Amino acid sequence: MSLPKVSHLPPLRLLSSIHNPHLLLCSIAPPSVPRRTLSQSGYRRPGKTRDDRLPWQKIDFDFWKGVEGIKKHFKLLKQELTDPLIGPEGKPILEHMKEQNRVVWEFRGPESLAGWTVSCDKEIGGQSEVYLKLGRNDTCFLYGTLNSAPPKDGETRYSGYCTMRSKQPLASFDRKKHFDWSSFNTLHLRIRGDGRPWMINIATENYFSHQKDDLYTYFLFTRGGPYWQDVKIPFSKFFITHRGRIHDQQHPLWLDKINTIGFTLGDKADGPFQLEIDFIGVCKDYAHTEDFAYEMYKRNPTA
Amino acid sequence: MSPLTLLTMAFTLMLGTTITLMSTHWLLAWMGLEINTLAIIPLMIKQNHPRAVEATTKYFLIQATAATTLLFAATTNAWLTGAWEISQVMHPLPTIIITMALSLKMGLAPMHSWLPDVMQGLELKVGLVLATWQKLAPFSLLCQIPNSNFTILLGLTSIILGGWGGLNQTQLRKIMAYSSIAHLGWMLLVMQLLPSLSLMTLLVYIIMTFSLFNIFMINKTTNINSLSTSSMKVPVLTTLTPLILLSLGGLPPLTGFLPKWLILQEMIKQNFFMTATMAALSALLSLYFYLRLSYNMTFTIAPNTSTNTLSWRLNNKNIILPTATSMTMTLLMLPLLPLAAMPLF
Repeated sequence: MSLPKVSHLPPLRLLSSIHNPHLLLCSIAPPSVPRRTLSQSGYRRPGKTRDDRLPWQKIDFDFWKGVEGIKKHFKLLKQELTDPLIGPEGKPILEHMKEQNRVVWEFRGPESLAGWTVSCDKEIGGQSEVYLKLGRNDTCFLYGTLNSAPPKDGETRYSGYCTMRSKQPLASFDRKKHFDWSSFNTLHLRIRGDGRPWMINIATENYFSHQKDDLYTYFLFTRGGPYWQDVKIPFSKFFITHRGRIHDQQHPLWLDKINTIGFTLGDKADGPFQLEIDFIGVCKDYAHTEDFAYEMYKRNPTA
Repeated sequence: MSPLTLLTMAFTLMLGTTITLMSTHWLLAWMGLEINTLAIIPLMIKQNHPRAVEATTKYFLIQATAATTLLFAATTNAWLTGAWEISQVMHPLPTIIITMALSLKMGLAPMHSWLPDVMQGLELKVGLVLATWQKLAPFSLLCQIPNSNFTILLGLTSIILGGWGGLNQTQLRKIMAYSSIAHLGWMLLVMQLLPSLSLMTLLVYIIMTFSLFNIFMINKTTNINSLSTSSMKVPVLTTLTPLILLSLGGLPPLTGFLPKWLILQEMIKQNFFMTATMAALSALLSLYFYLRLSYNMTFTIAPNTSTNTLSWRLNNKNIILPTATSMTMTLLMLPLLPLAAMPLF
């Protein structure tokens, strides 16, 4: 199919395209190319139908929901304003000084699961499955099936991951809040796994957009028995990765602006998995004085 | 960083400040400020941590904005009055713009929000340079421009916001940033009334901050909780640190009381009663968090088991002389008050 010659088109005068939009050059494009709509974002989850509605058609207006939202945000704002009257992070200073252990996530009810997001490679067209529910005795139960068959899109070579990640804590009016764990130096988990090696990923607050996928990672080796496992991992052991690749230049994890924590399974062993978490906490181990576990070498030393 | 590079950066830092201090032309002063900014950037980013890079980027953007605004105001003033000299009469509009630009450079309220975040991302040594040396050049320019009651308003706002912002901080660097904001407020209060007193306040502040930062460096602490368990590291420091903190808070008979006393006296002489009262009351906010640090470090023994028991028995490799000198000056200079009463300029 040949494009019509430009000379056959009426001359495109200044501002004439406003009155004659069909004269715009984009209308020359062949009709088989799908028109990119204004509302289409860059990524569409496989299996989800394309949503071609215009932005104002997607609004779901509910007055009472709005009122509830306003009440919730003002309540959070009031708490934010009154907490500093008590002390740092809403606790008296003595309590802050004496604190050596803190349970950050404790799964004691269905509402605790709302603070977590699960995902797996189904988003990129894979075949794994992951589910999160409240286990017996009020624990977090993550289970599913891992399948490392890559999606048939011709470009993805590897697949097979399942992950659960905490949601970013939010202050009033959906502003980001961060965890300040600088008084602690160890991550303490009570888990019951299935013998598989998991990865713990901690995300901190970043400034540049190229750092948004930076995660501090360490491994969690589970025993798989019927007994609970207490795991204590010092924060000095975490190393920085970006989208699964370990950075060359390593540095210790700073604990004053933590955003999320996540658990990922990607051990290439297809089949069912499960991980039960009783609590996730942080503690201060005074016997652990290591700043950072990894030595840095010059990558290109001059001879 | 190689010693030669470090020396070059330090020399350039000093050069930039010196150029601004000795300049009479706005362009030369601006040049000195820019050299200052550029020289400290490698020192800040030497740490090679994303937070240090973030702090450096924010610092550079803020300083560049302030310098650009300053240059714009100086050019506007030259256009309106025909004068490039700093000491010449200035048009009111460029004066206000220059005051705001220099406030942004120093971290005075209401342009202070960047300072705690930037200080938090830096290591203690560079934070010390940022809190002390980097204030000299903009301060010298602020002293020379004709000020109005606007600077008193800026000063009072800084004291209040500096005290209020530091109230619930647990990170020591952020506490020092808010302390810097509050002290700069005190300097600005009296700048138009008695510039020599303002300069003396700055010098006393630099000495006190230098001592405190050195203490934090020797103890290797960056937050309140690690400060509370550092009492066994150097017991002498644990004893003297509350005095230094109280000196920063402006309590007699320590050195820090000297500038506050003279400033309040000068303000009352010039009939600024309400302002002096509000400044004195706002100083209590800063005093609260200094007292909290003293309480945590010295007045309480943390109930945690600590492995630091034997640290003080080991040889201390730190260079003690600058710390010792500055601590002595921080605590014992109040009897030199009659010297301060002598006219300096």
